[in-house]
Order: sequence, then C-alpha cells, then structure tokens
Amino acid sequence: MRSIRFGYGISKPRAIDIDSNDLRKSNEILREMPELQTCIGCGSCTASCTAGNLTQFNFRRVHTLVRRGEYMGAYEEMNKCMLCGKCRLVCPRGINTRGLAMLIKRKLGDF
Amino acid sequence: MTFFAPFTLPFIIGAAVMAAVLVAKYTLWTIHLPAEDKRLIRRNMFSAKSLAAVWEVVRESLLHVRIWRVNPMLGYMHSSLALGWFLLIAIGWIETVAYLGWGWVPLQGHVFFKYFMPVNGIAEHKAGFEFAMDLMLTVVLSGVALAWIKRMRSRLMGMRRTTRHVAFDRIALSALWFVFPLRYVAESITCAIYGGGSFLTGTTGKLLGEHLDSATLDALSEPAWWLYSIALGVFFVAMPFSRYMHIFTEIPLIFLRRYKLAPSVEEKSYDNFEVEACSRCGICIDPCQLQADLGIDDVQSVYFLRDRRYNMLKLATANNCLMCGRCQTQCPVGINLNTLRLNSRAKLRNIPNEGRYGYLAGLDRSTGEGRTGYFAGCMTTLTPRTLAAMNAIFEAAGDDVWRADSDGGVCCGRPLMLSGETAAARKMIDYNTGLFRRHGITRLVTSCPICLKVFREQYDLDGIEVLHHSEYICRMIESGRLHVDRSDELYTYHDPCELGRGCDIYDEPRRAIEAVGRLAEPEHNRRNSLCCGASLANTVIDDKQQRRIAQRMAAELEATGAGTIVTACPLCHKSIERVADCGTMDLAEVVAKNILRDKR
Ligand code: SF4
Ligand code: SF4
Ligand code: SF4
Ligand code: SF4
Repeated sequence: MRSIRFGYGISKPRAIDIDSNDLRKSNEILREMPELQTCIGCGSCTASCTAGNLTQFNFRRVHTLVRRGEYMGAYEEMNKCMLCGKCRLVCPRGINTRGLAMLIKRKLGDF
Repeated sequence: MTFFAPFTLPFIIGAAVMAAVLVAKYTLWTIHLPAEDKRLIRRNMFSAKSLAAVWEVVRESLLHVRIWRVNPMLGYMHSSLALGWFLLIAIGWIETVAYLGWGWVPLQGHVFFKYFMPVNGIAEHKAGFEFAMDLMLTVVLSGVALAWIKRMRSRLMGMRRTTRHVAFDRIALSALWFVFPLRYVAESITCAIYGGGSFLTGTTGKLLGEHLDSATLDALSEPAWWLYSIALGVFFVAMPFSRYMHIFTEIPLIFLRRYKLAPSVEEKSYDNFEVEACSRCGICIDPCQLQADLGIDDVQSVYFLRDRRYNMLKLATANNCLMCGRCQTQCPVGINLNTLRLNSRAKLRNIPNEGRYGYLAGLDRSTGEGRTGYFAGCMTTLTPRTLAAMNAIFEAAGDDVWRADSDGGVCCGRPLMLSGETAAARKMIDYNTGLFRRHGITRLVTSCPICLKVFREQYDLDGIEVLHHSEYICRMIESGRLHVDRSDELYTYHDPCELGRGCDIYDEPRRAIEAVGRLAEPEHNRRNSLCCGASLANTVIDDKQQRRIAQRMAAELEATGAGTIVTACPLCHKSIERVADCGTMDLAEVVAKNILRDKR
C-alpha cells in the first residue's frame, strides 16, 4: 500500500542563516503580495493540489521556503504547477495562491 | 481655374501625410499576415462575402447601427459625425460635378468649393445644393456639440465613464472639434461677401453682412479659411496615430473578418487591424464589473487596447481582467477583446520550457472503456456534491461511463492558457487528447465550463462529441432516458461566463431546470449575465475584491425571490455559495434530487 500523504510531515528543526539566505527576492515577492504574510501554513493548498496529486510537488513547502529566502530548486518545482487554481479556492486565508505561483516563477525565473 | 490658394497648403500637406501613413500601415500589416490568413483572403475575396462586407461597412462605419442599439444618444453622435461628414464630402463632390462637369478638379477644389466659386453661373440647382450642404453641416455640428458634452458630462450621454486619452488623441480631438465650427465661420463670411448659402451659413452671412462693413469682411475671409485649412491639416496628420485611425481601419477589418480571419492565441499581424479599429468609444467601460464594483478604472478593454497599441502595455494591466466577455458583447466594432488580451498575456509571459511537465508521461492510471467519458474537471473535485449527482444521473440514465479524471486527472490546460502560458498548456492538451483516444470514447462530458471551452476550441477531438453536463442532462431528459419529477420549487439560474458567452450555451441549463421546477430570471442574464468574480483569468484582484463582485451579483440572483441559486460551473458555485444567503446548487444536483427511479 502506498503511504498516505497528507501534504505535510514532521520537518527537521531548522534555522534561517541570514548569511546564506538572501531575502531580496523574498522581500520583493512579499511586497507584491503582502497577503502571503497571513499564511498559517495549514497545507490546504498542498492537499488540494492537482500537480501535488501526481508528483511530489508541495506548494506549501515551496512558498514557505521561498519566503525564507531558500530558492534552490523552487523555480523548477513551481513549474510543475498547472495553475488550475484549486489552491486558491481552499486557502482559508484567502491568499491569491494562483497569482503567487505566477509571481514566484516570474521572480525566480533567473535563479 | 487652378483651384489653388496658399491657405489650402496645410490641408494638402495634411491629406498627403495621412494618405501616405495609411497606405504604409495597411500594406505592412497585410504583407506580414501569416500565410494561412493570406490564403483565406485569396479564397474568399471574390465571393458573396465581399458584398456582405460592403453592406456591413455602410451599416457600421457610416450608420453605426450597433452603437445605436447600445445607446441611441451615442449612436446619434457617431453617425452624425460619420454620415454627416461623408455626405458633406459626397454632396460637395456632386456639386462640383454639377457646376463644372466631369473634368478633373483637384482635391482642395472640392473641399474649398465655396471659396473658389462663391458665385457660379448655374442658378437652377443652387438653392438645393446650398440647403443640403447646410443641413449636413448642421448635423455634423450637432454631433460635435454632443462630443463636447460627452467630454464634459458623460452621464448625460448615458455613460458613467468616458475614456482618457493620449497626446495624439488630444491633438486630433481638438483639431476635430474646431474643423466644423471653423468651416461654418469661413463659409458664413464668404456668404456675407458674395451672398448665397442656405438657412445656416446664408442666414449667418446676412447677419454678418449687416453688422460688418465689406472691408472688415474681406480682411476676415482669408484668415478664416486659413484656420479651417490648418484645423483640417492638423487633424489629418494626427489622425493615423490617434484613436481616429478607427475611421478607416474598421473598413478593412470588416472585410477581413468576413473572410474568416480572426485573432488566435499567438499575436499576429491581423491583430493590428482589430487593435487600431477601436474607436475608444468607451462603451466597454460600463459593463466591466472591475469598474462598477471595485472602482478599478485603468484596465478595461479600451485602455488595454490603447496601451497595447502604443507599446506601453504592462503585465499587470493585461492580467487584471476577468475575461468575462461582458465588454466584448457590447463592443460596437466587434473586436475579439478576450483573444487579444489572451495573446498579449502569451507574448508577455509565454516561456517555452521543453522539460516542463515531463512527469505527465505514463501517468494514466485509469482503467476501463466506455462510450461516454466523464471529465469532471479539477474544480469539480472541490464540489463533491456535483460529482455525486453526476454519478446518480449516469446511473439513472443507464449510461456506461468511463471516468477520465477520478484518479488523479491532469488539468485541461485552459488555466495555463488564460495566464498566457500557451506552450505549457499544449502539454496538458496533448496528454488529455491521448488519454481520451486511448480509452476509445465517442462522447466526452464535463462539468466544468472552463474545460469545455478549451476542449471545444483547442483540442483536436474529431469523432468525439464534447458536451457540457447541462447539455448532456437536458438531452437525457428530453430523450426520455432520464425521468424526473417536476416540483413547484422556484429556482434562479446564473449563467457562467465560460458557458454562456464562452460557449454559447444558454438554453439547455434552463430547459433542464424547468423540467424539475420553476425558473426566475435575474436582471442580468444570458449574454448580459454578471461574472461571479472568481474567474481564473484574473490573477490580480484579491479575495476581498472577488467577494465584493460575488456579493453584487448574488444579490441580484436573490432578488428574484428564488429559494435556490442554480449554476453550472463549480467555480461560480464556490464563489456564490460563500456570499449568498439562500442555497446554491449545481444544475446536476437539482436534477439528481428529482430523479424518478421507479419509472425506469
Ligand atoms: S492554504 Fe493558504 S494558509 Fe494554508 S498553507 Fe496554503 S497558502 Fe498558507
Ligand atoms: S494552481 Fe498549481 S499549486 Fe495550486 S492547486 Fe493547481 S497545480 Fe496546485
Ligand atoms: S473596445 Fe470596443 S467598446 Fe471598447 S472602446 Fe474600443 S470600440 Fe469601444
Ligand atoms: S472581460 Fe470583463 S473584466 Fe475584462 S475588461 Fe471586459 S468586462 Fe472587464
């Protein structure tokens, strides 16, 4: 039996190293979409995700990491998104997640 | 007679510049048309389509029938200017011919005929011509007066907002405002000196003659004709770079459209004809809910086309549109506003990436075959009651159905397309097409109008009939395969944008509802129905704004007094549900609720 993925798991404890995490892009993204600050990390976006249903893509993980300034692989991951818009419908904070998906790709395209 | 006077120079130069620019533009656009479009022109040029186009040019470029339909006041303004001016030129030409015969008269001779021949030998038809010319001048002047009023107070014209302009427009507009009053002044002065003229210029001329001595009149005459000529010249030079480019561009556009040319998901040369045929009449502003409900007033089609034309289009403007199509149904020029917006997005955003969606290969985990394939659509999985209702309906109708996306479906591709990622959308389209073919379906039913539109327009599904579930349900009921009970319950129906304006499906959902209950129509319905605000096409507005749009439209539906709001799109369903006080149901649920099982 395949294990059930709830879209979240227990993460290893981690700290943000300001020396290695360049927050410039993250700040740009937050400036264009300030509502992302209200994300409660509930994982609904990941749970409903069409692409996440087919691959390991985890939208909550990607946007959380991007917000922390960890961009490695984020663009490639984000490119798995089909922009279907389900995540926006389920987000309890009403975050424009579909716009966010496009924004992340636009900002990190050159990474 | 040479028909030359120095004051005609501004006019002659202006007209020459305008003609040169027009010829250059149209030639370049035509040369750059894709081969397919050129083939269409060649194939259709010598057919009845050209005749139909001529007739349409008369109706739309001169009479402006469609504007009359939207707003009679605005219609009068446009046709008085267009038809009035055209008749001034036409009658002027006939007048010259009547007096001078068929010999060649230079352009300025026609235009300034009054100046060159204030008194002429033939008296018989003179009064008639003078009257006709004065009448036309009055009509045009009334149009100009209305244009002034529209600028000052657009509400009087039945419009809430009027368009803001760029520099070239201002120059052309100011010149145009002065052209006809100056002509009136110049002709009146000439009439004052030589007599002639009819109720307008003649009367004014007489008045002037009574109050001014002939030396003053002589001194005024030349400058007045100079000013008239300058106003014309300035207008002609500015015209091809301003909104007035639409005056001529609408004509080739009408022909090309009759030849079946249309914009597509990629920008192409044909788009120029559509973009520059926009008169910036501003009719598209009022229907836009972004304007009416949210006060956003710089993204509407008129501004989008303007920005695109002058190469100052920003992604944020292109993206801030629900693509509800409400403006497109009202546009008197019939511009394909949604498609143009779409291909602008594609131009600004489309990043082909061959490696993308490699994961789609070998994804198909579904099994089974069936005559009918059911593609619920991503959004429908978020409205499980609709899914359950569809299952009940399939079962009751005894249809053998293969579910295309129950076990991890791939998006239809339309959302990517709406965001301008055309190349990426292709991958979804290819994947799903392969899937449908592999399972050998002959009919494809979907519950999502967004999927429906892309299936119909972008997929190559020859041999597979693509139906929205409303069409399917309606057909099942009417062919007697699905037996339903009719109750007295009152429903109201919301036309989803993608289903109604998008796919032209208005009647089937209504027939299905009326098979199970009574139907009350909201104020805006069918082609004029409101958007629910949650459209995938808009990635700019936030949650609160979406909600505000939904509240306004839900209020209209609730005002019908119906107990349940019915819609046929999972996205509309979600967005109405969260703001409406009464119940919200998908069409499938309403029908499934009333299935008569024992009759089968
Ligand atoms: S659904 Fe919304 S609140 Fe929850 S993790 Fe995703 S973005 Fe954050
Ligand atoms: S829009 Fe992208 S991230 Fe959101 S649910 Fe769809 S595939 Fe997932
Ligand atoms: S798009 Fe159509 S309705 Fe809008 S300003 Fe242009 S011509 Fe008028
Ligand atoms: S398509 Fe709808 S949202 Fe977009 S400009 Fe037209 S009316 Fe406004």
